[in-house]
Amino acid sequence: MSCAGDISMREPDATPQAGRRTRAPFIRIEAVHKAFAARQGGELMVLDSIDLDIAENEFVSLIGRSGCGKTTLLNIIAGLDAATSGRIAIGERPVTGPGQGQGVVFQQHALFPWLTALGNVSFGFRKAGLPLEERRERSLELLRLVGLEAAANKYPREMSGGMQQRVSIARALALDPQILLMDEPFGALDELTRIELQQELLRIWQARRKTVVFVTHSIDEALMLSDRIVLLAPNPGRIQRIFEVPMPRPRSRTEPAFNALYDEIWSELSS
Amino acid sequence: MSGTALRSNDLALGLIGTLAVILLWETSVRTGLIDPAVFPSPSLAIAAASERLTARQLGENLSWSLARVFSGFALGALAGVLVGVLAGWYRRFGLVVSPLVELLRPIPPLAWIPLAIIWFGLGEPSKFFIIFLGAFFPVVTAAYQGMRSVDPMLLRAGQTMGLSGVPLLLRVAIPAAAPDLATGLRIGWGLSFGVLVAAELIAADRGLGYMIIAERNAGGSVGVIIVGILLIGALNLLTDAAIGVAIRHWVGRWHGS
Repeated sequence: MSCAGDISMREPDATPQAGRRTRAPFIRIEAVHKAFAARQGGELMVLDSIDLDIAENEFVSLIGRSGCGKTTLLNIIAGLDAATSGRIAIGERPVTGPGQGQGVVFQQHALFPWLTALGNVSFGFRKAGLPLEERRERSLELLRLVGLEAAANKYPREMSGGMQQRVSIARALALDPQILLMDEPFGALDELTRIELQQELLRIWQARRKTVVFVTHSIDEALMLSDRIVLLAPNPGRIQRIFEVPMPRPRSRTEPAFNALYDEIWSELSS
Repeated sequence: MSGTALRSNDLALGLIGTLAVILLWETSVRTGLIDPAVFPSPSLAIAAASERLTARQLGENLSWSLARVFSGFALGALAGVLVGVLAGWYRRFGLVVSPLVELLRPIPPLAWIPLAIIWFGLGEPSKFFIIFLGAFFPVVTAAYQGMRSVDPMLLRAGQTMGLSGVPLLLRVAIPAAAPDLATGLRIGWGLSFGVLVAAELIAADRGLGYMIIAERNAGGSVGVIIVGILLIGALNLLTDAAIGVAIRHWVGRWHGS
């Protein structure tokens, strides 16, 4: 039952395999398994035969109950974790580790506390070997993009959670990544800041055209942001169903299509 | 505003206490309650010291003590940071080294003095060794603990920016452990200072510790001894405060105080 169920939602010319799309795949996840050694011996299966293709510039959310392996899957795409078996490729290149075109935004507390906002963003530029002045210029430009130019010289502890996440996004963009991986980036924020940052993210995504994989536990958030929503089921983590989100952006939480899809995802999630 | 007002108020209270004790001390000697030959009053002690010591002698002893503690501390701290950081970063090295450090750490540095004299003689190297030990153990422990408790999230963030190995260590792990390193350095400095005087009491011909014990051996003035003791305390207090300020300036900006 692991990969059935999204037939009704897919374009008519799509192949019958779940997670396969007609557009050329950009991120290709094939037969990925992940198992950890369990404490009482044996193995704990965290991800079970994950197959998923993500197109270039697509915004895909991973959603599911805790224990469904959504963060593990994200970490595997990020190259921070290795799959036990299976293949992952970005473009045509297999993922063998981090820093291969994946920018990552973590949930919180991932900024370097000893660097200012500007220092954190320009940290990402170091590897490119740019001269100091140009790094500074480009970092300021990214801070401007996330609306934080005025806070360039603030340290993380002097910033609110929302500001910190804006800096995190700017820092990830400094790598000029092909894909942006976000692990519940707004999960620790208050409701108002969260909605604000969702809108910001959409604006940035549209301005910079990135492929985004976004982990969240909020159906609402996934519906506001994504082209597709991948629902993962727990124990072991597997794809339960994939939803297309056809509504044009900007979306409204009050439109009927939004609520109908919300109900559908909810009933699938609680089944 | 109210915070600073409160702080200066606290300082005033502390000063009042100190002044009261000095006053009590002075009056108990003057009224004959305490024998000035055993425990002279502050004014008598200062008078005796200024009579028996030239400013040049005092300055020479002081700078010798400072030079000793600086050099011993610098090398002990450097070795402590190096071993602690590497043990915290390279798991295997840590497993080999940390039991050894844990076994040697409880030995008070002063207990090494007889061995130090046998190994290095009565000259400078034996004092250097004792002071080195005083700095090394607090620093190595703090560095190791600091490295072990670096938030893995920061390391992962560094990895996503293409860092690994030594660059990840230098640019992420060590800055992240800096607050612990700073605390270790401060404790190490205090301990270096503590063992300095003991080392000088045993065998030296210069330094504040020597100045005190020589005065006693020569049957000189108790006042000089008292002034020497208070001077050592003041020196430790001042240098510790200076280190405290330096640390706040270094890590306090981003780490909070």
